[in-house]
Amino acid sequence: MTIMNFVAAFLFVLGAFAFQTSITGVNRKIMARLQKRRGPKWYQQFLDIFKALSKSSISHGWVYDFGVIMALGGIMATVIFIPIANFRAFPNTDNVFIISYVLAVGMLGMAMSASGSGNPWASIGVGRALTNMLAYEVPFMIVVVTMIYSFNTASIGEIAEIQQDLGVLGWNMFRMPLGTIVALISLQGMLGKKPFDSFIAPAEIASGPMVEYGGKHLGMLFILHDLSTFIEISLIVNLFFGGGATFLEFGIKYFVVYTVANLVSGIMPRFKIDQAVVFFYKFPLAAALIQGFIVIFTGWGVTKWL
Amino acid sequence: MNLLSILAILIIGGIAGYFITKLNKLAGAWLTVLTSLTALFMLFGIKDQIGSTYEFLYFTFELTQIGWYFAFVLCLTYAMSAFYNIYFMDKYLYPNTYTMLYILSLAGSVGLFFAKDFITFFVFWELVVWTSAFIIPLGKSRKSAYIYYVVSSIGSMATLFAILWVYKLTGSLVIREAFSLLDVSTWTAIFIFGLFIFAGLTKIGIYPFHIWLPLAHGSAPHTFSPILSGGLVKLGAYVAYISVVLFPAYDAFSEAWMIFGVPAPIYFLMILGAISIIIGTLMAIRQEDAKKLLAYSSVANGGYILIGILMVDQVTFAGGLLHLFAHAIASATAFLTIAAIAYRTGTTKISELGGMIHRMPITYTVYLIAIISMAGIPPMAGFVSKWLILQGLASKGLLIIAFAAFFGSIGSFMYVFRPLAAVFLGQLAPKYDNLKEAPIFMVIPMVIMTGITLFIGVFPKFVLEMIMKVQVEAGITAVTMNGTAIDIFNGYLDAYHVFVIFGFGFFIALVLFLLMPKARKVDLMDTYTSAEFIYTPELLHYAHDFYAPFERLYENHPSTLSLYSKLSLKLKEIGLFVDYLMMSVKPATTLLWIILFIATVSLGGVLS
Repeated sequence: MTIMNFVAAFLFVLGAFAFQTSITGVNRKIMARLQKRRGPKWYQQFLDIFKALSKSSISHGWVYDFGVIMALGGIMATVIFIPIANFRAFPNTDNVFIISYVLAVGMLGMAMSASGSGNPWASIGVGRALTNMLAYEVPFMIVVVTMIYSFNTASIGEIAEIQQDLGVLGWNMFRMPLGTIVALISLQGMLGKKPFDSFIAPAEIASGPMVEYGGKHLGMLFILHDLSTFIEISLIVNLFFGGGATFLEFGIKYFVVYTVANLVSGIMPRFKIDQAVVFFYKFPLAAALIQGFIVIFTGWGVTKWL
Repeated sequence: MNLLSILAILIIGGIAGYFITKLNKLAGAWLTVLTSLTALFMLFGIKDQIGSTYEFLYFTFELTQIGWYFAFVLCLTYAMSAFYNIYFMDKYLYPNTYTMLYILSLAGSVGLFFAKDFITFFVFWELVVWTSAFIIPLGKSRKSAYIYYVVSSIGSMATLFAILWVYKLTGSLVIREAFSLLDVSTWTAIFIFGLFIFAGLTKIGIYPFHIWLPLAHGSAPHTFSPILSGGLVKLGAYVAYISVVLFPAYDAFSEAWMIFGVPAPIYFLMILGAISIIIGTLMAIRQEDAKKLLAYSSVANGGYILIGILMVDQVTFAGGLLHLFAHAIASATAFLTIAAIAYRTGTTKISELGGMIHRMPITYTVYLIAIISMAGIPPMAGFVSKWLILQGLASKGLLIIAFAAFFGSIGSFMYVFRPLAAVFLGQLAPKYDNLKEAPIFMVIPMVIMTGITLFIGVFPKFVLEMIMKVQVEAGITAVTMNGTAIDIFNGYLDAYHVFVIFGFGFFIALVLFLLMPKARKVDLMDTYTSAEFIYTPELLHYAHDFYAPFERLYENHPSTLSLYSKLSLKLKEIGLFVDYLMMSVKPATTLLWIILFIATVSLGGVLS
């Protein structure tokens, strides 16, 4: 751990933020076209964030502030763990379990801050968000376990490299098609996109956890949202789409995955929270387990492949 | 200094405690602190004597690495919880009995971990069961103590049967010797193994024997619940260790049917562990009482520990043992914070509390760190142990178990968050306006335990080194470490790096926060309410039925407890029938039955 690592990590977080925020802006435009609107400029998202940061805000007590800082800190730390192309800010920290659990620090911080505001809508939203998490995370993690079992490593960077060495058909998208479908469905949940966005439903529970925020708190949560999107899409690209040998390749894949997720979200209605749980524990869970058993018992896709 | 002097201090201290408490309650409470702390420090004093044996009357002891590790965890929880006795001693009906039983139960646990022969093991086991069975009714209800005692007895009797069976087959009562002499068919081995581990399963609260945990933990005295969850439940893990490592189960079952490379009987127990995780999680989510919620979480975490120990391999086993430590500390801490709240407010019901953070900020911070560890989130000890367990399960491809592990892990976010949101955060009811922070001797142990959780989460080496010695003692490959990092064949975790990077992220966020304009402080009631005018904080506090939509999915599930009550009803009916046959008005009928009984018994003697 040298000072250069920290500088690199800081620049990486900045880069990730700029990249994802631009893509969010572009996607706002795409979404607008889908709804036959003109849409805002591509850099509108930056303007929104900086404006929010500079405005006056309110605070409901120390945990309200502390939770936001803890959330953003946790998410930034998680971004630092993400391997892209051959870049790692710190060596040997790209373990998939570390990433998914450090991500939880950020989520917990935000949940804590939201509940600390004393607004019941926020608590309802957090309750829904956690229930949602129980739904989408389990099938996804089963696919991940299958992957660790087959490649004998839990390092995301190494899993991406294994796929790159085998060419396009070596991507896990082709080797574990069922698992990929499960992961893409889970991705909608992770991103909080429709049909699994009941925890921030604006018309039902006044945006749930976000209800009390304004000013710099809201600005930081915007940054948090963009960074956590970056983490989740990067996970999927690295695990299922072969990562990227260069930043450009990774960026293109990233853009495609995110845009598809967004388009799907654009045409979907919303599940109620219990419907979402039931849904995830039916098809995606079954598919994840079937994918796992195929790999473990027959080796199709891993030992027996082209 | 040796092991016998620790036991002597505890037993004499326990008996003396009875009389001292009679004279002065406060002195009795301090005696519990003093004896358990002495035991803890003396345990460090005998650390270098591993391998030596001791004899006293009929009892034989051996200082083993695994025994030391368990005794260390237990003494730590006892010593820390003992501080709470200072404040709670006045509230008990029989404080003198409480002091005696408290210290004696520690003596029982320590003796049991170092027992060399089965009889010593069983005597000390029963000492723990009896003492704790009499402490539990000092709390809220007596019924829970009955259930605890019955479930424990079922386990003890099964284990006693297994011990006698082994003695009959080998002629030895020394644990290691008897098991090494045992040379039986796979089926006999399965029966002996199953009976022996029974006591462990009942104690650790594995499904379907989990029913006693929520009842006993929920209604035990506030000072004893942390010990039940952090300490006594872990005795079950020790029995599991004996049966699976010393037996040794993997050799005995080498000809049994294999599932994912695990012998079927062991896999079956792992499935029971997985069911415990799922049931514990689901039930914890819907509890209204904070102590019961934590009790069900102990059921779930017991499942992780059992799975880890049953694997007897390099990674998962280390994870299971580390989880034992991490959960003991975290769970005891969480129970202690709830005890502190109960001391101040007089209730443990989640929906009656709220906004405690504004009056008890230290207790809140302690609870926060405890639940972060329980949920397995870095940088706490619980994360390292869960990481090891998950890595181990993934390397073996145990998908069904891994499913339960993930379900329990993510479900734990749900249940640990509930007291956080509804007890500590949210609106502060006006009746709690004059509340004060927990008293100093409650804060001290809470802060110490929090420090341990954080320290082991950042430097797991200090506990993992003990576990590595245990693994060497058990004859398996020890988990490998590289400096501060855990470096195993399919993963790499440098908890210290994770902590530093998290700190770095937190620092950036803090700087960003401080650079931006200062926020205006507003009152908690000053929130967005959809243009509704609400002036009562209680109405604006969301605490009841927190996960209602999710709970609705399984509210009509069949309950294990009602199944047991149905069974007991049937048993009563059979008893009545026998009563009707035997105790009839005609003495001749009774005589007939007695003659038939004697005839059968003597016939059995002839046959064998």
